[in-house]
Amino acid sequence: MTELKFVFGDPVVCSGCMICVNVCSMYYSKVIGPTRSRVRVVRVEPALDFPLFCRNCEDAPCIAACPEGALSRTSKGIVIVNNRKCNGTGACVAACPYNAIHIHPDTGKAIKCIQCGQCVDRCPADALFITTTAELAERDKDGRMMALHEEHKDVLYDKEAEK
Amino acid sequence: MIHGLGGEILWVDMTNGNIEKRPIDEELLNKYLLGAGYLSKVLYDMIPAGTDPLSEKNVLGIATGTLTGSMFPQASRHVVAALSPLTGVWGESHAAGFFGAELKFAGYDAIMFTGASSDPVYLNIEDSKVELIDASHLWSKDVFETDDILRKGHNRKFRTLSIGQAGENLVRFAAVMNDRDRASARSGLGAVMGSKKLKAVAVKGTGKLEVADPKNYLKQMDIFYERMMANPFTPGRVKYGTTSLVELMQHIGRLPSYNMKQGVFDGYSKISGDAINEKYLVKARADYSCLQRCGRYTAVRNGPYAFEGGAPEFETQSSMGSRCGNDNLESVLFGHHLANQYGLDTISLGGTISWAMEAWDEGLLTAEDTGGIDLSWGNAETIVKLTKMIALREGFGDILADGSALAAKQIGRGTDKFVMTVKKQEIAGQEPRAQKSMGLAAVTAARGADHLYAFPVLDEAGFDEDIKKRFGEEYLPEMADRLNPKYKGIMVKECEDFMVMVESVGLCKYGTQMPPEFYYDDIALALKVHNGLNLTGLQLQEIGERIVNLNRLFNARFGITRKDDCLPDRLTNEKAPIGPSAGEVVELDIMLTEYYDVRGWNQETGLPLKETLKRLGLEDI
Repeated sequence: MTELKFVFGDPVVCSGCMICVNVCSMYYSKVIGPTRSRVRVVRVEPALDFPLFCRNCEDAPCIAACPEGALSRTSKGIVIVNNRKCNGTGACVAACPYNAIHIHPDTGKAIKCIQCGQCVDRCPADALFITTTAELAERDKDGRMMALHEEHKDVLYDKEAEK
Repeated sequence: MIHGLGGEILWVDMTNGNIEKRPIDEELLNKYLLGAGYLSKVLYDMIPAGTDPLSEKNVLGIATGTLTGSMFPQASRHVVAALSPLTGVWGESHAAGFFGAELKFAGYDAIMFTGASSDPVYLNIEDSKVELIDASHLWSKDVFETDDILRKGHNRKFRTLSIGQAGENLVRFAAVMNDRDRASARSGLGAVMGSKKLKAVAVKGTGKLEVADPKNYLKQMDIFYERMMANPFTPGRVKYGTTSLVELMQHIGRLPSYNMKQGVFDGYSKISGDAINEKYLVKARADYSCLQRCGRYTAVRNGPYAFEGGAPEFETQSSMGSRCGNDNLESVLFGHHLANQYGLDTISLGGTISWAMEAWDEGLLTAEDTGGIDLSWGNAETIVKLTKMIALREGFGDILADGSALAAKQIGRGTDKFVMTVKKQEIAGQEPRAQKSMGLAAVTAARGADHLYAFPVLDEAGFDEDIKKRFGEEYLPEMADRLNPKYKGIMVKECEDFMVMVESVGLCKYGTQMPPEFYYDDIALALKVHNGLNLTGLQLQEIGERIVNLNRLFNARFGITRKDDCLPDRLTNEKAPIGPSAGEVVELDIMLTEYYDVRGWNQETGLPLKETLKRLGLEDI
């Protein structure tokens, strides 16, 4: 089960430029707009910039939460939204512990990162990478990146802040 | 229809609290774009001769450019403009950050403030909901506290623009700050906000920018990205920001030292980019859509100057460092941080303190004047102390808070000899005897002494190929020679037209001028895919030229003629005493004559000729 991939970023390396955010909204929605993007960037002083994506949880609470059964995991392990089934109830949004799934304001459907890598390729700071839990543990040997995410989780995953 | 914009302009009457939303005037946009161009036209139409900059008659505008919020490299910028309380003429200043893009996402391209409130207020924007809110709880708070309170009170998704105590106290070189440490610093526009009792603007936008050519957008932007990333200047920008300019400028004798007595500083290596990287740099930070991340985040971990925050920039290393004879780097970093906190322009701050230091050195200022403060060259403690005293207008700081030109007038005793200003604004960190184009640019800039209005750096770092491309081979080698006054009028004119246009589309001078990666045709292409505007490079040049002429007409209204386009005597008549540019003076008259000639301005008055105005469609003005 450690093969599940997700995009992750180093908050010390990320410069906060939001290019990933814009690449995503342009690639999928053909507009520029953070509320139409599947990635968020949150700046936390001092000097941290967190690019935040779907973490592809093993237990994927979003899948279980959807009353329409619109979310599922593909054979490659990616959690996807079936737009025909999605009613925009927001149950997945409420269930996500990482505030990584949102309702698109124009379509009314849930959007989330599907690890396509478009933003990873364009990050000017090389702060982003596609990884797995095991690979990340290897890369982040001293646990620095995970510790920063943990330390600031109240700010990073706060859904109230976006209302 | 023009794409990729917020779509409306907010008009806020501070006197009666009325807020109006007006649609974008497309005809105006095709003639002036947005940003600096838009504000140039609107303020020209609204601010009559004789206006007191700190009265309710002044109009303050904050405008994004047509490309602000786009995916073009470094499309983060907004412009603030008003009649300047420092110079009494055209005032404008620019900053990056996230505020501009957020304003676009909320649905607005600019905010115009007229009148003045009797009590402190801030403007709160949440998409279509726009309101003035009581700011008495924010008054007397610094920039960081204001940001903290506003973001905590609403939520963290807000971006803020505000003034600190300096703006409240009408310090004539108070900055307008945004996103905590980004500064529209020059021209004292923070004092205009203060005079209107406008403490801050908080904005949250959940909207989107619909671009003109969504199909090809990413493909085109990828090409711009790749060019910027491949530019040989980009890695150095990431590594040093602008801080390594200290070393470069020392090398050519262009590092203002001891109030511009000279262009070299013995202690330069102690305040250099390498010195910062070695011990204090925490991170290179970017603004919206920025590939070069020149922003520095530094920390001093202990001692009297402990802090962490967004600082510094070359200008501050020069103004609070070498210019004051100060090689104590920790005090320079902390001083910059304090200036951000109180909302001060570090260039005028250091320029004013260094004026006082020279007057002290000459025995014209004494402890009696300063309240016992020792103004010896390089006294780091004094520089830091005065920063606070100026922001709060305490003691001797109250006199300095009006800038060096007015302070010298008040003190008298011949101290005006040491005032290094043009049109009362302190000259920035380019010792012009070591780069003649910078001397000319400082006098022709609409906002008074300024390196950025033209930003004529083509003779600075071997851009011969770009000179050939822009002007033709016949201008080499003279134009590329920083010590040769020849062709500098032509160069400064060209650079001004281009730079004001860049400030009107919302892009950064890094990428368009230093390095000169993107030029008119690239911006025309970006305006096409993002905004759907069909403007040619030539038309964009004409827009730039139109804006420069309009700025000149604005200044003419406040009495500016050729006689005001002058440098301090030191720079035109006293030879640079030491260093690589020793023996040089600025041959201003030759350059200015050439400049007026290519501008189509009258040689005696320095005002645009009738046929020039007609050619630019300004004949009705």
